[in-house]
Amino acid sequence: MSTTPSTYTLPVGPMHVALEEPMYFNIQVEGETVRSVDLAAGHVHRGMEALAMNRNYFQNVTLTERVCSLCSNSHPATYCMAVENLSGLFVPERARYLRVIADEVKRVASHLFNVGIMAHLVGFDSLFMHVMEVREIMQDAKEGVYGNRMNLGQCVIGGCRTDIDADTAAFLRGQLEQLKPQLDEIHGVYERDPLIRARTQGIGLLSQEEAIRHGVVGPVARASGVVYDIRAKAPYAVYPDLDFEVQSDTRGDVHSRALLRLREAAESVRIIEQCLDMIPDGPIAVSGMVTVPPGESVARTEAPRGEVVYYLRSDGSDTPQRLKWRVPTYMNWEALQVMMSGCQVADIPLIVNSIDPCISCTER
Amino acid sequence: MTNILEAAFAILIFPGGLFALALGLLLKGVDRKFYARLQRRVGPPLIQPALDIIKLCTKETMIPDSANATAFQLAPMLGLTGVLVTAAVMPIGGVWSGVTGLGDLLILLYLLPIPAMAMMLAGGASSSPYGSLGFSREMCLMFAYEMPLIASFLAVAVRVGGADGSALSLDAIMSYQYLHGPLLLDPVMLPAVLALLMFIPGTMASGLFDIPEAEPEVLEGPLLEYSGPLLAVFNLMSAVKLTVVLQLAVALICPNPIGGSVVVNLAWHVFKCLTLLLVSVTCFRAATGRLRLDQGFSFFVKYTSPLALVSLGLAVMLR
Repeated sequence: MSTTPSTYTLPVGPMHVALEEPMYFNIQVEGETVRSVDLAAGHVHRGMEALAMNRNYFQNVTLTERVCSLCSNSHPATYCMAVENLSGLFVPERARYLRVIADEVKRVASHLFNVGIMAHLVGFDSLFMHVMEVREIMQDAKEGVYGNRMNLGQCVIGGCRTDIDADTAAFLRGQLEQLKPQLDEIHGVYERDPLIRARTQGIGLLSQEEAIRHGVVGPVARASGVVYDIRAKAPYAVYPDLDFEVQSDTRGDVHSRALLRLREAAESVRIIEQCLDMIPDGPIAVSGMVTVPPGESVARTEAPRGEVVYYLRSDGSDTPQRLKWRVPTYMNWEALQVMMSGCQVADIPLIVNSIDPCISCTER
Repeated sequence: MTNILEAAFAILIFPGGLFALALGLLLKGVDRKFYARLQRRVGPPLIQPALDIIKLCTKETMIPDSANATAFQLAPMLGLTGVLVTAAVMPIGGVWSGVTGLGDLLILLYLLPIPAMAMMLAGGASSSPYGSLGFSREMCLMFAYEMPLIASFLAVAVRVGGADGSALSLDAIMSYQYLHGPLLLDPVMLPAVLALLMFIPGTMASGLFDIPEAEPEVLEGPLLEYSGPLLAVFNLMSAVKLTVVLQLAVALICPNPIGGSVVVNLAWHVFKCLTLLLVSVTCFRAATGRLRLDQGFSFFVKYTSPLALVSLGLAVMLR
């Protein structure tokens, strides 16, 4: 990139306090204004796709769960769906509900984490601490139901591992009851606090046209008026039977993305409650060995950050011939160049955080 | 000869030097502890700032290859010396009336920006782009918060001086308050007091004004390249600066002693500094986040400076 005399290079990353994961931004700055942005990635490439081709189908459930911690249920769930699609397995009804519950529990925790970090980035650490404390309710729920606070280990090929019995369901409902008023309160704070508004409104703008042009997904797309949610567009598991509203906004700035995430978290709480009401009795996984015939399959789900796509090709052996996945951040991070053009240096961390980047997913 | 000894004592032992360092570290410790409690955290022990200094002193001094080594090492020394001298001229009500002929508002206007200038020098010398950003942010913000400071100083001087003109010496300002009650309770001076309360977080770069050293934005700006003993000196500078700013505010708005004993008055003075710290620094930064540089600048121009000017106008009209 050429450097004109009036600009200078501001290296953000790969190690930077505002980034939770390594990523390098070569930013040309004039005074405090950003003139151009160049992205470079590849610092946490772990060769997971190659690894997946050396492990059998069951080992890969564990592997995909470790792609990323915040969407650690979406990856194995989508992988299992791809395997089930190929082998023609029918997942029991109860297991489908359990998968949705696990997915939505993770979504609430992930969204709260992101909006909490946003408060930290504007220097409002008290709000950050408060949001993380509220998120702790969901962490406790995960620990109580699944035994783990991050990697739930819920999905297996053909079903789920952990059942939710009457006692556990009552505990989960109790946690949700605690969470609901807190979520409302946090939404109000983010919506009305003058400082949050002054710092986040009108920055990181992404118009609907640009959103479509870059093919962004997840909350970033929905906040720019692109109502695209796999749970509604191509429903899987039990989403067709559930009553929920896809949240959207048209302002397309950092503030609207944060508010949208909070509304989605509230919607997720409703979804979990519906699932707990409607869940039928029955087995939680298919019994017997699963065989995967030669062929190809694709599965996609809505992770907290957007659409996750898994492609699987099998030659009939016990290891996949090819396993490839595309994650939401890969679609979203190119749009950063649009969002960051002309912004102030102070806005860079906020804009980067607003796409909720997951580098470990993207580089795997 | 006595004057020189008196000045040396003031700069090295009390109220500058050791006393200012100890009080500064205590204030920093209280700030961190109280801030943590406001966020429902346990927080570090009160002596944590002092422990940090000791730890830093055991570390190696690292100077970046591309930095200007002389300026890089000089900046923290300059800053600490500057604030220690400033601390030495701070009078304490009922305990110490300041070095004769030194406690003057005009001198303070020259001494107070020294730490900010040391930070700018550090940012410039470190050769890091974040340091340069910190430099320009510090400079911008300094212009913004010096305006209300000067206006408040003038308001106080005019109010105290009355018909005889204006009183610039801290001694006169304190004597006036012993006679007429603290300026904190003077309705005419209320806007200027508010402006002064906003100046404190501004100059300490906390809360809304944590702009030059914003950690997520410019990685602590000028301090990014500092480590070991040099960083310890900067931390000490910051602690003494906090003491100086709070003591100045106490001297300007509520210096009145509580009793006859020096010990009681000193404790009362420390208590006032702590109260002021909790109000204008700790609670303020717990309840707010950070503004952008342009927003921070216009905050001082739009709200703080006019407040101080209102008091100045009223003081001029009423004299």
